[in-house]
Amino acid sequence: MKPFDVVIVGGGGAGLYAAMEAMKTNPSLNIAVLSKVYPNRSHTSAAQGGANAALANKAKDDTVEMHIFDTIKGGDYLADQDAVEVLCSEAPKIIRELENMGTPWSRMPDNTIAQRPFGGATLPRCCYCSDKTGHTILQTLYEQCLKKGVIFFNEYFALNLSVNGSRSRGLIAMNMKSGKVEAFPARTVIFATGGYAKMYWNRSSNAAGNTGDGQAIAFRSGIPLKDMEFVQFHPTGLRKSGLLITEGARGEGGYLVNKDGERFMARYAKEKMELGPRDLVSRSIETEILEGRGFDSPAGTYIHLDLTHLGADLIKSRLPQIREMSMQFEGVDPIEEPIPIRPTAHYSMGGIDTDNFGRTVMEGVYAAGECGCVSVHGANRLGGNSLLDILVFGRIAGHTAAEEARKFEPGTIPEVELKEQLDAVRGGMHSSGNYERYGALREDLGKTLARNVGIYRESSLLQKGIEEISELKERFKKVRVFDTSDVFNTNLMQVLELKNMLDLAETVAAGAYAREESRGSHTRVDFPVRDDANWHKHTLATLINGKVVLGEKPVTMGRYELQERTY
Amino acid sequence: MTVPIDQHLEEGKKDVTFRVFRFNPQVDSKSYFDDYTIPVERGITVLRSLNYIKEHIDASVSFRAFCQAGICGSCGMRINGLSQLACTTQVWDVLAKSREQGIIKVEPLRNLPLVKDLIVDMDPLVDKMKHYSNWIDSTMPEASMGKKEFLISEEEFLRYDKATDCILCASCVSECSILRANKEYVSPAVLLKSFRMNVDSRDSIHDQRLAELVKDHGVWDCTHCYRCQESCVKSIPIMDAIHGIREDAIETRGVKDTSGAKHAEAFMSDIEKKGKLVEATLPIRTNGVVWTLQNLLPMAVKMIMKRRTPPPPPLVKSAKGIKIFREMFREMTEHVKQDHKSHKK
Ligand SMILES: Cc1cc2nc3c(=O)[nH]c(=O)nc-3n(C[C@H](O)[C@H](O)[C@H](O)COP(=O)(O)OP(=O)(O)OC[C@H]3O[C@@H](n4cnc5c(N)ncnc54)[C@H](O)[C@@H]3O)c2cc1C
Ligand code: SF4
Ligand code: SF4
Ligand code: FES
Repeated sequence: MKPFDVVIVGGGGAGLYAAMEAMKTNPSLNIAVLSKVYPNRSHTSAAQGGANAALANKAKDDTVEMHIFDTIKGGDYLADQDAVEVLCSEAPKIIRELENMGTPWSRMPDNTIAQRPFGGATLPRCCYCSDKTGHTILQTLYEQCLKKGVIFFNEYFALNLSVNGSRSRGLIAMNMKSGKVEAFPARTVIFATGGYAKMYWNRSSNAAGNTGDGQAIAFRSGIPLKDMEFVQFHPTGLRKSGLLITEGARGEGGYLVNKDGERFMARYAKEKMELGPRDLVSRSIETEILEGRGFDSPAGTYIHLDLTHLGADLIKSRLPQIREMSMQFEGVDPIEEPIPIRPTAHYSMGGIDTDNFGRTVMEGVYAAGECGCVSVHGANRLGGNSLLDILVFGRIAGHTAAEEARKFEPGTIPEVELKEQLDAVRGGMHSSGNYERYGALREDLGKTLARNVGIYRESSLLQKGIEEISELKERFKKVRVFDTSDVFNTNLMQVLELKNMLDLAETVAAGAYAREESRGSHTRVDFPVRDDANWHKHTLATLINGKVVLGEKPVTMGRYELQERTY
Repeated sequence: MTVPIDQHLEEGKKDVTFRVFRFNPQVDSKSYFDDYTIPVERGITVLRSLNYIKEHIDASVSFRAFCQAGICGSCGMRINGLSQLACTTQVWDVLAKSREQGIIKVEPLRNLPLVKDLIVDMDPLVDKMKHYSNWIDSTMPEASMGKKEFLISEEEFLRYDKATDCILCASCVSECSILRANKEYVSPAVLLKSFRMNVDSRDSIHDQRLAELVKDHGVWDCTHCYRCQESCVKSIPIMDAIHGIREDAIETRGVKDTSGAKHAEAFMSDIEKKGKLVEATLPIRTNGVVWTLQNLLPMAVKMIMKRRTPPPPPLVKSAKGIKIFREMFREMTEHVKQDHKSHKK
């Protein structure tokens, strides 16, 4: 294949913006987007709430400065302040840009883009399109990419980077439709493969494919991952699937109730009750469950989100989506019965370590979106800041790669590497004798993570988690791929994804074990307070000789001094 | 007092047989069905059942799924004959309506090339989106983008709000009666998207898009059978979009060319000649005669009354046109009645 100037792995918001911007930067470049699902299927479509930008359409006195401060504080001071400044100052421009290209934003009475309040923001600055913001943003970007004639390799599964010393020669990927392993020699590669929170499996709000493939590939190629221990939990996931019931349900007056029929939030947040901040509510629910006040069921222990007292009319008019989801995914009509819920892994703050331009330590390799970690979210992401992150840094990475592409020689990928990958991929098909089922491994991984590397963390639990993950990795060696066909082998794809999750789980657990403090989403029962003297720094996880080696990176400070985070 | 949900679950599990369409192009010369029987409790979706089958019984069963929340559009398939999302369809609900007790038949979407088992090729749909410029070509030059917002009224927003719910799941494509006969046909989802672009004031290529839409395989080929709208997983009124494009075409292009009128003519003579087509596809069956007259007749009459379209024979005079329409619809009603009777037997 003719070498590419820019190969983008991932067709979500970050990948598509990168593609558009790369084409704009230099229309003569040969650019391709590779995605394991059709781009419009990417998980960006699931974001309902909105994207933050200080447009000041709703709150006239809103400023970029306030957005910066909210973000830094929300991230418990672990975000890099120069990066946050880029994020927030680019925000109004990028939201307008999308608007100019056709995103159907909801409107204010004065016909400007509508904004609404969102958790952790001082003023209402979350721009939205009904409850389908991510979906409409992704549509717009996909449409514009089709218009521009971006070359798509849809349903291609990225397997590995081809590395020569300190730089990459391009990407190796499998064409799902044919099962062939193909080389994508490229001057630059941008990873935009989304998050890794699906490793918590049934206890995750994420799409089945949010398995951190890009992070795992980068990691195996020796690129460090940053702040992997920070995983955000959302308080109200459906019991069976982990799917999200949005904050709206509590906003409208829903109660959280334990098996004794008690509105337990009174114990944890007397005033705000169910409307306390996300992490606090998640922790409270988890405590109820751990202390035996949850409902038991084969699908796990849960508590109730009770809306029955709100009445059919209100539920039907204000919360139709939530009602539909409860009925579709739990078979429960919230007008008549409470919804079974428990906290669910929702967002991964950590990712491939990049600078403010999307560059990684490896020449010609970039990362953006949930897959990357600049870091703008620090220890805890604010709602509405992630869509913004993928747009702003997707664009920046696209621009940088396009500018720098010509600096690098196009690599050729040696045939032998393709063969290696093919063998690796096919290996599991021929295992005989005792074998392992990927489904069981995946479930066990989710369980051990939720139990030992979940909302509450503690030294002995984490140690156990680390041991169990390494046992799972052993068992994985005997995993069996039952489907031996070449054409659209989803069984094989799931096994490959499981491998990526296992590799990353190790970095999450290792980071959590090492970080002896509580900050943002990371709560150590044995170290309950933030320890700025020792831990005001990023964690780096690098693979050296097959072992996870932890390092650190200072946090870039700016105008804002460390303060206690209170709401 | 709240009732633990599991009391309901203990009402029991049901043994359900999933009859799954199988085809692997590498080894099979013909498709076939495999039966998998599993116990299913209330609250389980078809997708979860398929996942269970894949994990515990037969890992080679192939289907697409991603978000598992009804938003990505990956898992469209035919469940007991109806195209819908596997991830939002409750097994017990399907069972309640199942013709064969305890059996749920799962097949790939129609009208798109089959890849393997329940997976079809989406590329033809993407190609059509490209062909009909399913994007906004903004009136704002690229260099000025990001500086200021367009001001857009709530009224305009509402014109395309519903259309932007589309998740490109292709359920409507699978149900479309014209596509079964003509794969080149534009497709309901693409008409919907085209409409959405055409009513957006930010767009600058309305005329060009419309010119493409009135050509062969375009908007005039639609038979108004309403199946797309009935099967839309997001309950989008697709027919409003199709009517919208047609009216727009008559308004803006009527005098300019005859393609629309010609198609309308062909459409009507088809109906007259081929009762079969009517029987299989016309909206009367599902929407009733009154509805059809109210909704379709006015447009046809408008076309004729306005005389924007060169009146093709036999619709030389408007009054005569209406008469013909009335006769046609009477004939159709007869068809439907007979059809109903034969079904009841
Ligand atoms: C339920 C939910 C609600 C949310 N709501 C909000 C919200 O209201 N506001 C907000 O700001 N954020 C929200 N978020 C977070 C936000 O949606 C995500 O962080 C963001 O969309 C990630 O975008 P992305 O482009 O980085 O990745 P994604 O959209 O996940 O895209 C990843 C892409 O990479 C591709 N890919 C992955 N692996 C491979 C591989 N091996 N080979 C080839 N391609 C691959 C995929 O096909 C996909 O195209 C929400 C998240 C969830 C789960
Ligand atoms: S109404 Fe038109 S587009 Fe819709 S299914 Fe029928 S023929 Fe197809
Ligand atoms: S119009 Fe409805 S059925 Fe058709 S693709 Fe869109 S969402 Fe699916
Ligand atoms: S899996 Fe996404 S719509 Fe069903």
